[in-house]
Amino acid sequence: MSALLKLQDITVKGRSQPRLDRVSLQVDAGERIALLGPSGAGKSTLLAVANGLLTPQQGRVFWQGEARARSGRARRRQQARIGTLWQDLRLIEELTVQQNLNAARLAVWGWPRALLNLLMPLETKACTTMLQRLDLDPALLNQPVSALSGGQRQRVALARLLRQEPQLLLADEPLASLDPRLAGELLTLLLELANPPRALLLSLHRPDLLAGFDRVLGLRAGRLVFDQPMASLEPGQLAELYAGTPGA
Amino acid sequence: MRPAAPLWVLLPALIVLPLLALLPGISHGGGWELVGQFAAAALRPSLDPIVLGSVLGGLAVTAGMALLGWAGSLVLGLVLGIASSRVVWRTCYGSAAPASWIRRLLAIPRSIHELLWGLLLLQVVGLQPVVAVVAIAIPFGALVARVVSDLLDALPTASLEALRCGGSPAPTALFTALGPPLLPQVISYSGYRLECALRSATLLGVFGLGGLGTELRLTLQSLAFNELWSGLWLLLAVMLLLEALMGWLRRRWSMPARLGLSQRGVGSQGQEMVAGAMALLPVLVMVAWRLEVQPATLLQWQGLPPLGAADWGAVAALPWPSLIGNTLLLTLVAAALAVGLAPLLLLLATPWPAAGALVRGLWALGRLWPPPLTALLLLFVLQPGVLTGALALAFHNLGILGRLLLEAAETSGGNKEQALLAAGVGPRLALLYGRFSGLARPYLAYGAYRADVILRESVVVGLVGATGLGSQLLEALSSFAGDQLLALVLAYALLTLLGEDLSDRARQWLLETPHGDGHPQEAGGTWR
Repeated sequence: MSALLKLQDITVKGRSQPRLDRVSLQVDAGERIALLGPSGAGKSTLLAVANGLLTPQQGRVFWQGEARARSGRARRRQQARIGTLWQDLRLIEELTVQQNLNAARLAVWGWPRALLNLLMPLETKACTTMLQRLDLDPALLNQPVSALSGGQRQRVALARLLRQEPQLLLADEPLASLDPRLAGELLTLLLELANPPRALLLSLHRPDLLAGFDRVLGLRAGRLVFDQPMASLEPGQLAELYAGTPGA
Repeated sequence: MRPAAPLWVLLPALIVLPLLALLPGISHGGGWELVGQFAAAALRPSLDPIVLGSVLGGLAVTAGMALLGWAGSLVLGLVLGIASSRVVWRTCYGSAAPASWIRRLLAIPRSIHELLWGLLLLQVVGLQPVVAVVAIAIPFGALVARVVSDLLDALPTASLEALRCGGSPAPTALFTALGPPLLPQVISYSGYRLECALRSATLLGVFGLGGLGTELRLTLQSLAFNELWSGLWLLLAVMLLLEALMGWLRRRWSMPARLGLSQRGVGSQGQEMVAGAMALLPVLVMVAWRLEVQPATLLQWQGLPPLGAADWGAVAALPWPSLIGNTLLLTLVAAALAVGLAPLLLLLATPWPAAGALVRGLWALGRLWPPPLTALLLLFVLQPGVLTGALALAFHNLGILGRLLLEAAETSGGNKEQALLAAGVGPRLALLYGRFSGLARPYLAYGAYRADVILRESVVVGLVGATGLGSQLLEALSSFAGDQLLALVLAYALLTLLGEDLSDRARQWLLETPHGDGHPQEAGGTWR
């Protein structure tokens, strides 16, 4: 399978110790990867490097074989192919569901369309399809996001992610603040959406939810301590990964 | 078709389009060379020791007047604020009716600009150091009183009720339950008022009440631009230092941010705050002594020229519709320009740090540069009139609004902007969608308040001529036309009160309409 994202010897410095220390990994199309590690291990930093929000002090990032552009349009074009699902969802509360979904297209739209989106409903058909795909009522399109329930917001965030048409889905602890039922539903949805040629890299805290993943990464104190197929993961490795951390 | 929140903040900037069409008609172009000399002098301020000594002396007088006027306004404001608080009257007396009456009375001194107070007092007691201090203290005191009473009435009363049920006397219960949460908010607000007082003291100087303002006006009128810039750079440095100090104190004491978006606690380190306030006392005494501020001189009225019998026919014959219409037009144009240009400039400058620094510098200059001086400068190239006055006021208020917008943008919506940036959205669109969405309502609510301030301030650009009530008022003042003066001050006060009521309603609508994650916006009522 072709490599989507490749991180090579990535180091991100922190105040006292590196937040990431010479981390290398590759994400191929169609892979579903879980990123495990205790709090402060560097999971969010790794995802921020992956989606381009953070530029590492050392190391190189490749997207589909090309080195990541330093700035400008070329970099934004690469970033547009990587979608992130945030733990706090980061929906724009003051806008309608449709405007939020369309916000995912801003990277490829010009200013006129971006401004029109704030004036009138645009691309209603595409947005309706997105909502239906996630079992949401299309009547929600004109609702402000602030009027939605917690579960609906999760799905709208997912719909926005899909509307971006990314090839790599990143998710930063999306299940952390959800009750078990919602967490299970969301994870199932995410795993379903990560079909080839799309890939998924998801950070999580709960080893009991690893069943649907192909590969597992273990991160501790900024270092990658294991990177292996899910099937070969030993319980002892998990215990070692979380050893000495509260709740371990 | 209904514009969404991020567009609201940009819509007022549309006023630029008709203005661009009108400007060629009012420009005379004769003074571009002078404007060029003025701009070039910014890089070559005079370093002559005599000039610097004079500028420093002027600055010390301005800062002293500002400090004393500010302190006086705080004392007045706290006392009157408590006296006009509904919760205080209800707790002590059982009815809030007296509070409403006191509030209405306080609206009158609040509606009259400090410049008018200064010029009126100047006529009555002559040029005394105390004039500027009192001119600042009266309207600022009435303003602080309104804010203090609003803050008091907005505080949760559960602990007050608990103490009253436990048998505590009303004053003790009020002090114990409402004092601690009120203190940081009042201190945070009073810091902001100190910045305003420094700007007002400079402005009063422009009109001859002494200090740096007088120096600035004299150097501008004598086209000594290098000397003018010596004063301006110094004033800029002091203003930025003061703003930085206030920002630092606000952060250190966890005080509420200006638009209330940062969701911080109500404040901490009360002992440090009280100690800071106490340390100010000896400073105030020393400044008053150095400036020879003697309140007793307020009672020594100078001989006024004989006032003729009131000619109410002549008063009625004044072109009232045009005076009021021009004042309102000036206010609307200046407010739309200031409110609309701040977010537009921020958007345009966003991708380039150097442009951002330039815009910030421009805003800082706008804040400190008194509008009458901007008006005088604009007269080099524009004809006197409503638009020239509006541009001068807009530049000043743009500086204030721009800074506020920047402060608010730094504390809210960062994660949404970040999410958009991570998805490959450009920095301008990420700012527009990510940050301006949440900022739109509180920013426009503040803009509504600012329009109300601009209406009060329109008097200060009266010297540009044909700017409505302001210029007529200055004319009446200089010709000792007491009847006209009285009628114009009353008209101004009435207009300002109507404007205040209108902007209060606009703020209420903007802040109370359900939106998003429900930022509790007390800010619109607080940052006056």
